[in-house]
Amino acid sequence: MSEDLTRRDLFNKVVRGTVLATMGGGAAFLVQKAHGQVVWQVDATRCINSRLGEVGVAACNLCTTECVVSLSAVRAVNEYSKCGRCNICPAYFNITSAVDEHGYPSQKLCPRDAIIRRPIGKVDPEDPANNFYEYLIDEQKCDGCGKCVIQCKEPLGLGSIVLRVRYDRCVDCNRCAISKACPKDALIRVPVT
Amino acid sequence: MMRTPMCHLDSARWGSRFRLPTLLAFLFLSLTFARLAPAQAIPYQRPVETAPQENTIGGGYKTPPVQKPLPRDYWLQMLDVMVLAAAMGISVWLVLKRRSRKWLLALTTGSLAYFGFYRQGCVCPIGAIQNVAVALTDPKYSIPFVVTATFFLPLVIAVFFGRAFCGGVCALGAIQELVLLKPVQVPRRLDQALGLLKYVYLGLAIFFALRPALARDFLICRYDPFVGLFRRTGAPHMLMLGGAFLLAGMFIGRPYCRYLCPYGGLLAWCTRLAHRGVTITPDKELDCGLCTEACPYGAIDKMRAVRRNCLYCARCYASCPRDGELAHAKAQLVTISAGGSQS
Repeated sequence: MSEDLTRRDLFNKVVRGTVLATMGGGAAFLVQKAHGQVVWQVDATRCINSRLGEVGVAACNLCTTECVVSLSAVRAVNEYSKCGRCNICPAYFNITSAVDEHGYPSQKLCPRDAIIRRPIGKVDPEDPANNFYEYLIDEQKCDGCGKCVIQCKEPLGLGSIVLRVRYDRCVDCNRCAISKACPKDALIRVPVT
Repeated sequence: MMRTPMCHLDSARWGSRFRLPTLLAFLFLSLTFARLAPAQAIPYQRPVETAPQENTIGGGYKTPPVQKPLPRDYWLQMLDVMVLAAAMGISVWLVLKRRSRKWLLALTTGSLAYFGFYRQGCVCPIGAIQNVAVALTDPKYSIPFVVTATFFLPLVIAVFFGRAFCGGVCALGAIQELVLLKPVQVPRRLDQALGLLKYVYLGLAIFFALRPALARDFLICRYDPFVGLFRRTGAPHMLMLGGAFLLAGMFIGRPYCRYLCPYGGLLAWCTRLAHRGVTITPDKELDCGLCTEACPYGAIDKMRAVRRNCLYCARCYASCPRDGELAHAKAQLVTISAGGSQS
């Protein structure tokens, strides 16, 4: 009977060793395959809002409505080096609204008032149209609705505003809820930069 | 075959030849512009064709940096893995050595706070099943070290000590453990039949995860009933499902863990090899059966702990008159009364 017990122990040990070795092998394979951290990101060349050639379509706000975190992890980012710093920015002003007494559109485009407009240097009161303006996006307010992105594109803008995932808010879902809804498959996995 | 690269070379050279004069003209213009700007504005039309740069704008203007918040630091992610390992170590020690339900409850609460509400239920080994399955089969998909470690650590522990992860560490288990107030025994046949569901779920989850990249779906994460509660936001139907599981969990011990958790299936399989697990002191047994009644998970069969079902909750110790805190309390009572009778 004791012999039977030891044989059973031996069998158990062999099986346990095999299982552990298999798990170790699997883990080693996965670790050598891993190349840094990958995160979800919006591909600006696919996103309807920023893709050139998509003109006359309504702004897509699926990034705002589908994201699982309360204020979407996607928001608009102004690539300042590409920004035209226009006097009348089509992304800041609602250019279809009535013109006020100073000659500017009377309404802002952003529903959350997340864009800050400020002049660069001194404004010449005679000719404010030739002054440069800086457009900053308030990260705390923006929810990535894409309205400004689609306006800052040809023919009026230079396409400096794009939608981006803010990595600090993104919870890195296994299958991003936005990517499931996105009609253009614009949410892709990229390495962190 | 050779033409194409040559063409590219040519165009590149043309590009550079053009660029130098343009750049010079640009620089000259920008300098003049900077000089003249205060005196007399140069009239031009907007919208502009090219974006003005720092040197075009002049006046010491600096382009603001584009906000790029980085993801959670790597060392913090490594810390998560270490917390996971440490919590499992403590769970094994508390259950197998200290045999203390009280301290295990403290650990459970701590894990719920850390892995549940602070880490918002991610990354967890249950969902990692799918990522590991995809990474093992898809050559283009890889997972970070943290995910690999999170997936394998509880399995390795299970091979040696049983389901220590389920006991004091898993946030999904912890939230159910804490709401279980009036446990009822599920009939054994029904319990066993429902227990098979988790293997079906495991199979389905792997099947959907292994589909081609665009059709890929992560069922376990999508239908995780508690992650919405941890994040305190989510689709209404998922929040309601979570609430329903918690409501049922007040009477049926850990319904998700026992009948649906696919990782529980893997762990149960691993515990068959475990060489130590929860024991209910057969040497000083009373055969009173209090532990069997106390076990809400049907993990005590014929007065023996069934390792594959045992969720490391330590309720059996707490109910035992010969073990755990109850026994210590009794021992003290006995000595006091003994002292009283002597005097």
